[in-house]
Amino acid sequence: MKKIFVLMAFVILTTGSIQAQQKTSVGFAPGSYYTFSWNTTFTLGDFNDWVSNASPAGFDIGGRYLLDKGLTVGFNLGWQRVSQNYGYQTYYDPDGSAITADNYRFTWMVPFQGVIAYHFLPDKLVSPYLGLGVGGDYMEHHLLVQEIDAYTTRWDFSLTPEVGALIKFGNFSNWGALVAFNYKWTTNKIELYKGDTSKDLSMLNLKVGICLIVR
Amino acid sequence: MKTKLTLLILFAGLLFSSCSKYPPSSIRLTEDLVIYTKYDTSTSFSKFHTFYISDTIKWIDSHDSGYYTDSKAQAVLNQITQNMTKRGYQRVAANNNPDLAFMVVAVKNVNATVYYPGWYWGYPGYYPPWYWGGSGYYYPYYPAYITTYTTGTLMIDMADLTLLTVDSKIWIRWNVYIRALMTGDHTISQIQQCIDQAFNQTKGFSAN
Repeated sequence: MKKIFVLMAFVILTTGSIQAQQKTSVGFAPGSYYTFSWNTTFTLGDFNDWVSNASPAGFDIGGRYLLDKGLTVGFNLGWQRVSQNYGYQTYYDPDGSAITADNYRFTWMVPFQGVIAYHFLPDKLVSPYLGLGVGGDYMEHHLLVQEIDAYTTRWDFSLTPEVGALIKFGNFSNWGALVAFNYKWTTNKIELYKGDTSKDLSMLNLKVGICLIVR
Repeated sequence: MKTKLTLLILFAGLLFSSCSKYPPSSIRLTEDLVIYTKYDTSTSFSKFHTFYISDTIKWIDSHDSGYYTDSKAQAVLNQITQNMTKRGYQRVAANNNPDLAFMVVAVKNVNATVYYPGWYWGYPGYYPPWYWGGSGYYYPYYPAYITTYTTGTLMIDMADLTLLTVDSKIWIRWNVYIRALMTGDHTISQIQQCIDQAFNQTKGFSAN
């Protein structure tokens, strides 16, 4: 992991210096931009019953392309993991069996979405936006009981309204920061511990990242 | 531009591949005690009134077997007896026609596969033939996913002696597996708590 980040920092810094030499005007609306964000997940509803801990284990990459004025379209692709150790709990089965054990639950997911967003001030230093993501997830829900790993895998449909801001590091900088907050609703469900009652899994995501801006 | 995108995708790929799904090794679930029970749902526990339990615990490992008779073994056996007495059952001697009998076995670090359903496999001498008078023991139901023993395990079987058949098949009405006894630093008090939990998590276990 450390090597990856060092290599990444090197490329970012090198690319930034090359881009800086090409500046020609005061302020600009991005033709496109690419983001890499650290994503913290806060589960909601049934998903929160499954794992209630907030999880900083997640990242997201995205791209946006300017269509007209402040309107952009693009994509998001990510990885997230939420987990929690619940200590000793007892599970009953109708066949007469019961097991009491330390149990550890986690969900591992790969979200992917197409995104449409509107930037209110696309040529300014701080460019707030509203967006909507439409796509899906691949999720794995795991219940670990000692060495027993009970899990299910599911694909889903997802909707993600998002509010955020692109913050350029300077009027002419090709680099900036991204701060965004979104609510994500999915059709995913968990059947490992409560039957079909854990459905329509939803979550809040806080994304903080860097942004490569292309004119 | 294409180079940048390629690099970004490459970084993302590396990060994806480096993200572990499973919990870190610091969370060692395999060292935690697990209490698994299963009872025959066709059985009414209230039809039994007396039980027998030996004063020894059989132990077996990959190469040998024997009996525990020390104070720890007595603590385990007493805990079973206390739970049975609390639920209205009376302890009797083996020659006094008990309705139920307990067999308690400690498996030490054995990697063995048990094939269910059907005849209990074998570790020769697992059940004391001097008591049962035969060598065949039949499970009317079977544990669904206990197929290997990779750690120390305390097994408690409760046999229904009211249905002892002519070919010496014995019906097991209740099983307990307390696992991971030998993977962590577990005290006898913890084992006793596990025995209590095994009784508590079995619904309807009472003579009344």
